[in-house]
Amino acid sequence: MIKLKNVETIYEGERTPVIKNINLEIKKEEFLTVIGSNGAGKTTLLETINGLLESRGKVIVFGKDIRKSGTGIRKNIGYVPQDFSCDSSTPFLVKDVVMMGRFGKIGVLKSPSKKDHEIVKKTLNFLGISEFEKKPIGKLSGGQLQKVMIARALAKEPEILLLDEPFSNLDLNSQDDISEKISFLNEKGMTIIMIVHDISSIPERCKRIVMMDNGNIVMDDGREKVLGG
Amino acid sequence: MIVLPAKIILFAILGAFLTGIACSLVGSFVVRMNLSSLGFCMSHAAFAGAALGLLLYLNPLVMAIIFSILVAFILGPIAEKAKLNTDVVIGIIFSLMISLGLIFLSFSPGTAMSSTALSILWGSILGVTINDILRLTVITFSIILIIVLFFKEFQAIMFSRKMAEASGINTKPFYYLILFLTGVTVALSLKLVGGLLVFALMINPASSAYQFFYDMKKITIFSPIIGVFCCFLGILLSFFLDLPTGASIAITSSLFFGLSVLISPKRKRG
Repeated sequence: MIKLKNVETIYEGERTPVIKNINLEIKKEEFLTVIGSNGAGKTTLLETINGLLESRGKVIVFGKDIRKSGTGIRKNIGYVPQDFSCDSSTPFLVKDVVMMGRFGKIGVLKSPSKKDHEIVKKTLNFLGISEFEKKPIGKLSGGQLQKVMIARALAKEPEILLLDEPFSNLDLNSQDDISEKISFLNEKGMTIIMIVHDISSIPERCKRIVMMDNGNIVMDDGREKVLGG
Repeated sequence: MIVLPAKIILFAILGAFLTGIACSLVGSFVVRMNLSSLGFCMSHAAFAGAALGLLLYLNPLVMAIIFSILVAFILGPIAEKAKLNTDVVIGIIFSLMISLGLIFLSFSPGTAMSSTALSILWGSILGVTINDILRLTVITFSIILIIVLFFKEFQAIMFSRKMAEASGINTKPFYYLILFLTGVTVALSLKLVGGLLVFALMINPASSAYQFFYDMKKITIFSPIIGVFCCFLGILLSFFLDLPTGASIAITSSLFFGLSVLISPKRKRG
């Protein structure tokens, strides 16, 4: 489903690649967690996979080159960024922000249909945030905003879900709840790639862990081997 | 109070109505994207264009429009290439345009020429012709149509361009379209309220609408309503108090903004 061959990503104006010599293959319905210290290149890896960053080497998603078909591929990838924030006067309601996740899928010159609105409602229910539906996005707490961004990614009904520190800003109860829901989605066939900082928050269902250091993949193995070693 | 022929008054009111809608509509996006200096930059591009027109014995208004549209076209790509905030690039282009305008004027013979170029910055609502009304009608309806057709994409970009891209939207053409629409609106509104005051008409009604709503759709609907209201009230005041019309419209919209801040429900507690 995802294939990275000799991939390196260099930010414009920089000389050293943030990630280098990355070879990674992720199968359909797999649940993979990426761990590593700050600056190891975890977020860069995620943004390289969904084509938000330009890279060298081969990045193939759904059998297509992300550089040539990025916009089309991203219609089936849900992405939750790390620590997303917005100012208190941001003029959007929660339901609008969640609906935005579907805009690429709906397509240009088309309006959201009744079905799209139903999916948004269903997603808000799934994450237990229906009560915020009509709240301005800028008035939410960090944890509530995090759940809305997860809802936005899920409203797309993606085949692949990329989560960058999804548990940040969440209290322990919410962490458990979101962890269960991510596992449930994987059980239903969604491919999950998740970055976490705290290894204790890795869901039981995740069986493969990739460890990064200084832009390289230093370990890629089963949960017990990586965490046990 | 000055008594003017009915035709002039009718054209002035029609012109104000159309400019109020066009400027305030694009203004709702300009304010959200923190591009408030865009109107100012475009108006000085128009000034440089008019000055070049005078130097080369070409129609100054046509040249003003060409320069504004040209700036609207290059702004987005330059900001992206330079990896700078668009507002910074606007500042650079603004200083370039005002300098070019002054150089062109220094080569133009006679002071009458200079005042023609400077008139681009001030405008004259009472000098609006049927051709101006037709041009404004076309641009206003084009803007409404474009916003209706692509509101979904514009909305996603207004929230976060990066997240819009991650949602599967190719944001570049839509972002450039917003800049381009702003440029064209400024260029075609110049004769009516002038380059300097088009800025007020673009920012003030939209900023007032932002004081009342958290919903981009409502802001986009109410911004032109406020814009048209301010234009009419400004014209009325200018007729009764014998004030320059453009300045009167700008003051009205500024006062409306002040009032909006005072009564904004966003600042109420409980």
